Amino acid sequence: MSLKVGIDFGTSNSGVAVFDGQSVKLLPVDPKNVLPEVIKTVLYITKDYRTYLGQEAVETYYRDNVNRQRRYVKQWAGEIDVYGGDMHYVRDIFVYIDELKPGRLLQYLKTALRKDNYQGTQIFERYYSVGDLAKTYLSLLKHRAEDALGETIDTVTLGRPVKFSEHPEQDHKAQETLRQAAHEAGFKEVDFELEPIAAALFYEQSITKPQNVVIFDFGGGTLDIAVMRLGDAKSRKVYASGGVDIAGSDFDRTIIEKRMLPHFGYGKVKHHPEIMDMIHAIPDWMALPELGTPINRNILEKAIQAKIAPVRLKALEGLIYNDLAFTFYNRVEAGKIALSSEGATIISLEDKDISLWELYARAQFESDIYHYLVDVEKVLLDTIAKSGLDVEEIDAVVKTGGSSNIPLFTGMLARIFGKEKVKESNAFSSVVAGLAIKAKM
Amino acid sequence: MSFTTKIDEWMKEAEERPESAVTIVRLIARRLRELSERDEELLAENIALQNGSRVEEYQKRIAHLEYQLDLLKRRFGVDEELLTQIPTKPAEISTLSLLIYNAQGRIFRLELNADTKELGRITGEMVTDLEPPRILAVPSNEDVLLLFTSGRVDTYSVRDIPTVEIGGAWDWSQAALPNEPRAGETLACITPFSQLPLSDFFLQVSRRGCVKKTMTSMAQSILGNHYIGKGSIQKSDQPFDLMLSHKKDRAAFITYEGKVIGFDVDELSYATDERIRLTATDYVIASFTTPADTTMLCVTQTGKVIHRESKSIELSKSSTAKGQSLIPPSRLEQGVRFMGAAAVRDNDQIVVLDAAGRLRILEAGSIIGAGSIEAEAWILSIGVIPAEGASHLT
Repeated sequence: MSLKVGIDFGTSNSGVAVFDGQSVKLLPVDPKNVLPEVIKTVLYITKDYRTYLGQEAVETYYRDNVNRQRRYVKQWAGEIDVYGGDMHYVRDIFVYIDELKPGRLLQYLKTALRKDNYQGTQIFERYYSVGDLAKTYLSLLKHRAEDALGETIDTVTLGRPVKFSEHPEQDHKAQETLRQAAHEAGFKEVDFELEPIAAALFYEQSITKPQNVVIFDFGGGTLDIAVMRLGDAKSRKVYASGGVDIAGSDFDRTIIEKRMLPHFGYGKVKHHPEIMDMIHAIPDWMALPELGTPINRNILEKAIQAKIAPVRLKALEGLIYNDLAFTFYNRVEAGKIALSSEGATIISLEDKDISLWELYARAQFESDIYHYLVDVEKVLLDTIAKSGLDVEEIDAVVKTGGSSNIPLFTGMLARIFGKEKVKESNAFSSVVAGLAIKAKM
Repeated sequence: MSFTTKIDEWMKEAEERPESAVTIVRLIARRLRELSERDEELLAENIALQNGSRVEEYQKRIAHLEYQLDLLKRRFGVDEELLTQIPTKPAEISTLSLLIYNAQGRIFRLELNADTKELGRITGEMVTDLEPPRILAVPSNEDVLLLFTSGRVDTYSVRDIPTVEIGGAWDWSQAALPNEPRAGETLACITPFSQLPLSDFFLQVSRRGCVKKTMTSMAQSILGNHYIGKGSIQKSDQPFDLMLSHKKDRAAFITYEGKVIGFDVDELSYATDERIRLTATDYVIASFTTPADTTMLCVTQTGKVIHRESKSIELSKSSTAKGQSLIPPSRLEQGVRFMGAAAVRDNDQIVVLDAAGRLRILEAGSIIGAGSIEAEAWILSIGVIPAEGASHLT
């Protein structure tokens, strides 16, 4: 017998759930995680093309990579034709490859889907398009879910943000890439539901009379808003939906830009464009791992010898060459999460050559991301205006997704709608639960 | 952003949410404690720089490198012609030294001679920091590497360690302390390393069965930084042994509760790798490479000897391996445990230390034949004097 499931393919975390008509069952797809029903959207591909996902990917990555040895070899990558006037010559291009690199860790796979300038990546001898990466992840996730259920899964309802991209073409392309990836992963039937609407379907299970509800789904990659009439299947209606590319990963990036870069030489190093480029690449999770070339190491070593911010540049060298990027981003994210419940936290990274310590208070965080609050509030009010309802006509605001717990945004929702109307849904499972309900419809 | 601005921002947080003030003060206090500890370490380093002990250390290292170079030249016949033209000093007669050391970094050195079998007796506390003393036989002109449980390493020439007289009774307070362990660390092991240029890897084994392979081409950086790493995965784990190995070597380790596991050095990854799944009470008590012509000899605390062909050791391919069991379950229940193990040849000699502090040399062949070691107290530790090393005995 085959089953229909809902999959929330999230930017930071994913999940799988099944609905039996009575209750939703979240599947324990990551037994190694603290919450086995939540799996990190992280994929690790080794040199011999073994694949791992979730916590296992993270653990394997740490075991294989942190403080490992490196050996760079120069490899011919291709050639370029150079034209100038009537002159033409061909130049060989070489790249440095770390031949001891045991694998590649890939995260933010969903963000890659909506980036028009990111087509895919070379992983050792094979090229993985964005679709291939999504397929690999979904295929492994499907197997985990089938193992948990003991049955084959053929049909899936995948969640998708209200807007993958502001550009309709890119938005359509991202959805079709994900659809194709799901088919290639082994799902025979694939359909989509907007993530905030899925969260609404789950919320609907808990109400007894019709309500006008705003779903505020604020996750790792996007903010999705839906204004809906819920409570009665016959009169269920989506008044309006909206979204914006602002979410948890943007806040992480802002923290790094505003608070972390000085630890790696920002503000101290001037007139060294190559080093400045390296420092500016730190917030970019795709660019940082690519900086580890012998040429860059040479540049950093020379600067350290010349006593140009030696401690900070040594820390930068450690960050790049000891494969600490993933740990670093995790620490920043953990600091951000801690500020949802604490007034202050420490973002720290201690390793050979690095001794990063930053006391980060909620007031600092709120000041750093304040400009996002303005944008989020605008999108929220625009979506409500588009729905034709007044703010007073909204009966409940359901917040879901990790970023919805940030007090700055909770405060904004309370200010606009009134504290009593703001309802908290499970941050990590309401979307996948709603998708499971949709799959059964 | 200036530090003053940061303080203003923290103050703002404390004003907006007074409950945050406690958190901020707690976090800053913790940081102050860390910084004060670090400051003390830096001051100690500064003293070492000022009083010249660091310079001495570097001089020793230079001398060591020159020795390595010389060794290489001789092994590979480089500049042989030139070497013959250089007036050479008469070759020093190399003797064999026995090092007995404990976790606190105290080392006895005995210069062995061919006749003596009863070496003497150690008095006082035998087990320090829950670790029995360990035994290493090395040529007296050898250099040794000291590995501490923090991952720190240091090098010494065996000749620099003062000797004690054979046949005497020695207290640990008389032992040399060439490099006192720092706060929070103990001496994990001492390993000979003049074969460094001819070896491919450093092989580290942790107490909980993790193995880490490091290329010897990184030796300069390791010795320069005085740090090779702990080679363990869990925080509670700590390094146990360090040895030099070749690509094609096969190595093994033995645990307290009688498990043995082997592995090919070449197949190890360069990251720390868990090779065995141990029970909570078990830990590694011996590790060694297993050349084809050796056999494995394990000794229990009561002196019972278990002897196996090296090639019979199962190879582990995964971290979930449980290893071969050499102690039957019924004996385990009775409390039988391994205290020492080594890869030996029949004509090697075995140094045995018991809980009464008695230190003596026995023939490996006769121990294997008898199947046990007679001892007046529990066996604490064994060491091997290789037959080729014994030829150095005067």
